[in-house]
Amino acid sequence: MSNENNVSVMEPVKAPETKAPKAPRRGHRLGGSRVGHNILIAILCVIWLIPIVWLVCMSFSANDGMDTSSFFPKQWSLDHYVRLFQTNSVNQFPRWFMNTFKIACLNCVICTCFVLMVAYAMSFGKFKARKPLMNVAVMLNLFPGVLTMIAIYFLLKQFGLTNNHYGLLMVYAGASGLGYLICKGFFDTVPRALCEAARIDGCNEAKIFTHIVIPTSRPIIVYTIINAFLAPWMDFVMAKMILNSGDSSMYTVAVGLYAMLEKSLINRYFTIFCCGGILVSIPIAVLFFIMQKFYVEGVTAGSVKG
Amino acid sequence: MSKLKKVPLAIWGFLASIGGFFAEFGRAFAKGDIFVKLSVIWWGAGYIRRKQYVKGLIMTALEVAIILFSVLFAPQYVSKFGTLGTVQYSTHLDPTTFQMVPNDYDNSFLILLLSLMSFVVWAFALVVLLKNVINVYNLQKRAESGAHVNTFIEDVKTYLDSKFHITLLTLPVIGIVVFTVIPILLLIFVAFTNYDQNHMPPNQLFQWVGFANFKSLFSSGLTSTFSYAFGRILGWTLVWAFFATFTTYFGGILMSLLLNSKKTVVPKLWRLLLVITIAVPQFVSLLLVRYFFANDGIVNTICENIGLTALLRDWGVINTTFIPFLSAPIWAHVTIIIINIWIGVPYQMLIATGILMNLPSDQLESARIDGANKFQVFRYITMPYMFQVTAPTLVTDFVKNINNFNVIFLLTDGVYTTTNTKLAASFAKETDLLITWLFNLTQNYYNYKMAAVIGIMVFLICAVFTLIAFNFLISGDKEGVYN
Repeated sequence: MSNENNVSVMEPVKAPETKAPKAPRRGHRLGGSRVGHNILIAILCVIWLIPIVWLVCMSFSANDGMDTSSFFPKQWSLDHYVRLFQTNSVNQFPRWFMNTFKIACLNCVICTCFVLMVAYAMSFGKFKARKPLMNVAVMLNLFPGVLTMIAIYFLLKQFGLTNNHYGLLMVYAGASGLGYLICKGFFDTVPRALCEAARIDGCNEAKIFTHIVIPTSRPIIVYTIINAFLAPWMDFVMAKMILNSGDSSMYTVAVGLYAMLEKSLINRYFTIFCCGGILVSIPIAVLFFIMQKFYVEGVTAGSVKG
Repeated sequence: MSKLKKVPLAIWGFLASIGGFFAEFGRAFAKGDIFVKLSVIWWGAGYIRRKQYVKGLIMTALEVAIILFSVLFAPQYVSKFGTLGTVQYSTHLDPTTFQMVPNDYDNSFLILLLSLMSFVVWAFALVVLLKNVINVYNLQKRAESGAHVNTFIEDVKTYLDSKFHITLLTLPVIGIVVFTVIPILLLIFVAFTNYDQNHMPPNQLFQWVGFANFKSLFSSGLTSTFSYAFGRILGWTLVWAFFATFTTYFGGILMSLLLNSKKTVVPKLWRLLLVITIAVPQFVSLLLVRYFFANDGIVNTICENIGLTALLRDWGVINTTFIPFLSAPIWAHVTIIIINIWIGVPYQMLIATGILMNLPSDQLESARIDGANKFQVFRYITMPYMFQVTAPTLVTDFVKNINNFNVIFLLTDGVYTTTNTKLAASFAKETDLLITWLFNLTQNYYNYKMAAVIGIMVFLICAVFTLIAFNFLISGDKEGVYN
């Protein structure tokens, strides 16, 4: 009996042994395809980077206009980076940069406050209108931004707020409370026991919000802040709509750089556009990389919460 | 939970809660004493009766403010709401100063806008009035049962505690009402007027026209080409949204699998390189690519040099000296979708990577033991899992792509000119999405009435699509998992 038992126990132990000789062979095959696999990825990366490389090359070109005769410029120079900071009626890059920076900072403060406030109320609040309000928010979010933008433009025009930075700021920050879902998703995961304990200790809701929920939600606050800061840098449509007819010194970076590409200007300003594009992209890219991991969490969490 | 899935239920619940609110008011009004009933006319009455003088004064002041608004400000606009103004702008010579002065003209747009704002204020006042009666009745009940009636300071303190949500929500909700609700209502109203380049306030008036704009969008006539343009553009919008969503979705998953494979060396570096394309702002990268593929751009130079252009010309595919990547129909459509893959795949790759990290590894293991090959694992384990997690995002992505303004506008504005006269008559071009079309209609042609109608159609399409998708695609409620 014991013998038979031993055999049956031995069998499965044996199995890996029979596989063992295969292992190196499989490993060898892996090694072969490994090179191909990485070459494929490298090729994809090269394809993905071609336009960006072209952008960098163009910005160092000695030509004013678009150099279409060859991919790499025939003459390299730093001249256009210098000219980017010599302002004239078309190019006011330093001003545009400061304008955008100002709007971005203000938007950052207002937007973050609004989002956190709404998210807290919707996540921790226990009031009757909570569900109906959330449903209304879902419906309102279905209206595309550009659509409401046109009506907002009318509104701002009536009050003389077009071609005005504060008008643009209002557009960015005004309805930002609607973007509360991702943040609410995070707040939902804050342990409720923590809040109960604080309540027993005599904290009111305001104190729970500022002393418990906010400190435990650092990641999502960083995400919200960076997101709000980036919006004015990335946005093109609304800025163009609201600042379009104003003086070019009022522009944000996006509107200003776009204006350089008008048909009458492109031959003189294309290289400067590339320089400006790179200088704007660097800080944005850095912030984007910081935010990257929150991005994924945010999108998936937001979607499941729906 | 996926709230979208429950929109019909939600609408019903929303109406029911409004009904409940009115019922509560009715009960309070019927059972309340004379001061509660008086509160309908004098908002402060109930509070004064319970010795809450400060609150009584505040409510009275609010009431006076609303009455003043309704008497002094609102009537001059609301009274003209039915006609949107009758007095046309004109100027006459002032005999004393010898200058041209305008008459006391009506501005249709101001009438529309300020009437709308008055309606919003009145709706707010109605809610306050009803809520006030309910509050005062509750106060009466407390006083009658001998319970403690809050002092003003105590009342203020509740706004940091049990009523903290009101403190938090007030400002954001005002922002949302002013910058989203009022604009949307305004847009809906404009769709029923003839506000366009021939009826521009303040110099001209515009009127209500009923459903005429909707009719001209759906009926083809000799003069109106809008129905033709709408059909064409709607078709391309849906095709675009379909391809843009699915190419980037599957591209992202494949790329993520490729990068996260054990065979990849330095996956983080590759990921970083790919993500650079989305870290560059779209107005830079897309505008750049637009010149990259321009008729006299670098890609065309290269194609010319390697003889591709000549080859295509010999085949009769093109009859120009360049390849019209972004300047001819079909060519432009395909190029736009390919460029969108370039810009969209890294983003989807990031998301897919995040999700695949959580892929239950025991399932993969057991599949491998069962002898499943790589494709089978992908088809029967990875994809269903991905799909289950990302289905809601897929739907929202589709809706986002219907409204993907940036890609289309930045790639085609000023570059693509249509040769189709019927489209040109409606100020559209083949590569337009509904959203860029309506943007052009307002920005360059001041055709606000049609833009508003198209806007409403876009909303309806998005809403209907979302409802259907969430009802059929996504089964199972995930709320339980989270709460």
